[in-house]
Amino acid sequence: MISVRTAKGYDLPIQGAPLEVVDKPAPPPTVAVLPEHIPFIRPRLAVKEGDQVAVGDVLFTDKSNPRLQFLSPGGGQVARIQFGPRRVLQAVVIQRDAADEPVRSLAAPLEPEALDRLPRADLVDLLLRGGVWPFLRAFPYRAIADPDVEPPAIYVSLDAREPFQVPPARYLENQREVFTFGLRVLKRLCPVVHVHADADDQAFCEAYKDIITHKVQGRYPTDDSGVLLYRVRQSPDDNQAWFITGQDLLLVARMLQSGQYPTERLFAVAGSGVANPRYVASRMGAPIAHLAGEIQCKAPRFAVGGTLRGFSGDPEGHMGFYETALMVLPEPEAADFLTLFRPGFGKPSHSRTFLSALRRNPLPMTTNVNGGHRACIACGYCAEVCPVDIWPQMTYKSILAEEVEEYLAHGLLDCVECGLCTYVCPSKIELAATLRAAKHAYRKEQG
Amino acid sequence: MKAMRNLFDALRPRFEEGGAYHRLYPFYESIETIFFGPIERSRGLPHVRDSLDVKRFMALVIVALIPHLCFGIFNAGYQSRLASGLSTGFLPVVWSGAWLVLPMVIVTYVVGFAWEILFAVVRKHEISEGLFVSCMLFPLTLPPGTPLWQVALGISFGIVIGKEVFGGTGRNFLNPALTGRAFLYFAYPVSLSGDQVWTVLSGARETVVDTFTAATPLSVSVSTPASQTVEETLTGVGYSGAKLIGGLYPGSVGGTSTLLCVAGALFLILLGIASYRIILGGVLGVLCTGYFLNLVAGPDSAPFLSLNPFYHLIMGGSAFGIVYMTTDPVSATHMKHVKWVYGFMCGMLTVLIRVFNPAFPEGVGLAILFMNLFNPLLDHIEMQWRMRRRISNV
Ligand code: SF4
Ligand code: SF4
Repeated sequence: MISVRTAKGYDLPIQGAPLEVVDKPAPPPTVAVLPEHIPFIRPRLAVKEGDQVAVGDVLFTDKSNPRLQFLSPGGGQVARIQFGPRRVLQAVVIQRDAADEPVRSLAAPLEPEALDRLPRADLVDLLLRGGVWPFLRAFPYRAIADPDVEPPAIYVSLDAREPFQVPPARYLENQREVFTFGLRVLKRLCPVVHVHADADDQAFCEAYKDIITHKVQGRYPTDDSGVLLYRVRQSPDDNQAWFITGQDLLLVARMLQSGQYPTERLFAVAGSGVANPRYVASRMGAPIAHLAGEIQCKAPRFAVGGTLRGFSGDPEGHMGFYETALMVLPEPEAADFLTLFRPGFGKPSHSRTFLSALRRNPLPMTTNVNGGHRACIACGYCAEVCPVDIWPQMTYKSILAEEVEEYLAHGLLDCVECGLCTYVCPSKIELAATLRAAKHAYRKEQG
Repeated sequence: MKAMRNLFDALRPRFEEGGAYHRLYPFYESIETIFFGPIERSRGLPHVRDSLDVKRFMALVIVALIPHLCFGIFNAGYQSRLASGLSTGFLPVVWSGAWLVLPMVIVTYVVGFAWEILFAVVRKHEISEGLFVSCMLFPLTLPPGTPLWQVALGISFGIVIGKEVFGGTGRNFLNPALTGRAFLYFAYPVSLSGDQVWTVLSGARETVVDTFTAATPLSVSVSTPASQTVEETLTGVGYSGAKLIGGLYPGSVGGTSTLLCVAGALFLILLGIASYRIILGGVLGVLCTGYFLNLVAGPDSAPFLSLNPFYHLIMGGSAFGIVYMTTDPVSATHMKHVKWVYGFMCGMLTVLIRVFNPAFPEGVGLAILFMNLFNPLLDHIEMQWRMRRRISNV
């Protein structure tokens, strides 16, 4: 096991951590897939409203690569196909047939011995047909991996540092066999597989030391494979590596072992906006309201995927394809009076300008931006936290000036889209969003 | 609080889109956010944001400067009354000092604000709180009793030429307060340099009382006769090391007390607002250069060369400049390691200008402005170095 340390990053001192209980409610009445939040695909629908579907039936494919199939996580009827502005396909909602949910058999169950005899191309095909291929994503754009290439390495992130995720010890409970099988599958795709875990979780690292290859020490987002890649890469070719999260790898393995599309997910439901922060065992694409349970704030924000990187979920909507965390945060209500002159024991900050710096205990946070938009004052905080040593304010300026060569040389493509630079910025500049948009625009240009 | 909220709620529509004073919205925003933290929902990535904003950042710099202002008021009054042969009781001193200093501060703020609002309205951006700091710094660098029209002219130059012509806060590479100060220095050398400007005479007196020179330690140092060391001369006219550290001697309004500068530096470094790299670099620059001059000083060279390097830190405005002027984040270097270089060079140039240009004994302001010009280059060098170390990813 290799130890890697990163000095930068930041752990948000936010309240609302999930309690160590796993709730298993009855399966939800509806499930959905949200194409809008699957990066870079152009969905072509294979169903229409009212169609009957089984678990594992194709809902839509990708126009640019029809081999990428997205399967139904529920059996029953296609209840709603929702389009957004400019006809962006937002959601395909399935009304489950709770009594008798039809399940499609996609392939014969794969025995562990048979895996070694299966040619790589057939394995890829199987994963594509099984709908689990999209869980493999490729750096630097975090797009779905291209089935026609072989990557230099695959990183498996047992991630848990963004507030709040399911810790690997939870979702790997009784799943060790399945997980090991998943790793063998990855090894068939690419001989170099790195499995990295958070060094702070010592008990877990000890228990899984035969599996873990890299122990990463540091603050959020050290759990992101992109950060490890940045630290261990030897040559520019390494940048094309793939990654997959631990929970997603379990799904890949289960699909091969059962021959069916796997739909179970373990979610972390947390934040000061929910009455019962906890883990919830439910279905992929479960409804947000179903998972959240009792809400204890007037205007909740549903951050689907996590406090920093998650997208804003619709209260009537569903979880996405990848997201296993639901963070409920209160939207700001009344303006604070004279905060400017207060010592700020209860004000969370990365800086040391509030007395909360003395304690660093978890504090309540709202979605307030907490300040007016100003020009950059060059405080340098954004560079202090960036885990991949980008100087976000410089890169931001060169993006605005459209100096492509310049911002690429700054390391734009190494950005792991963690959102920390935006978090710390006192001028409230949307650094991370701008960098991510520039990254996406550059990918588009590359074709 | 309720009444306050109601007042702002009533006023807000007039400044918003479609209101009669919509053009003045930046002004309204700037005032409202002093009392009420703004509310704006984040758009995600990330969903929560740090509690720190520019307003608090700058307000804390002002907090660090308040002791300088208070001491400056006292010192101005004290020197003035001392030189005029009047009583130096606490209350009369504060009273005279306040009359000398506060009008300068008020004029600076009024004029500075007027320019900022004008540009904010024309350019349609919010008022940057950096202005509050520049307007506090500027009068502190002036001699007490500077004619108010000069104060107004100086801050106008500082804000318009030092900042706005480059595109406003964030794009300026010169420190606005220092730009204004330097402008006054060169535009009105008679009224702003020489020995006598630092102390204001009050009452009917035309000249200082006999025993008192009212010269600043720097001018004393420069004119040290070859037979004496600078320290001896300084002590001879009453400027002991302790007095210089304490700051009760003629000089700019806010820059005389080294003790307060040290306190301010600790405060700002502890809060993570000022860069300790720049400050330590500056101190090192002064000391190393002073020491180096000691080494090269021969028996015939000017006594100023042999001055104990620490005196360079405690005399005149060097400590004030290093703590508050070099660390203005916008005009300082932005990259991490070159901050040391920048700080060091500022310190070095300060001493060199003092020692080798007797006509211009206070070098710190020019040194910093001069280095400000080089900061984009320094940043560029560090950025290139960093980019070369990265494994490329394109
Ligand atoms: S530049 Fe990218 S990686 Fe760096 S802090 Fe910002 S979002 Fe995170
Ligand atoms: S955190 Fe914001 S204000 Fe500070 S340097 Fe970065 S972009 Fe500029």
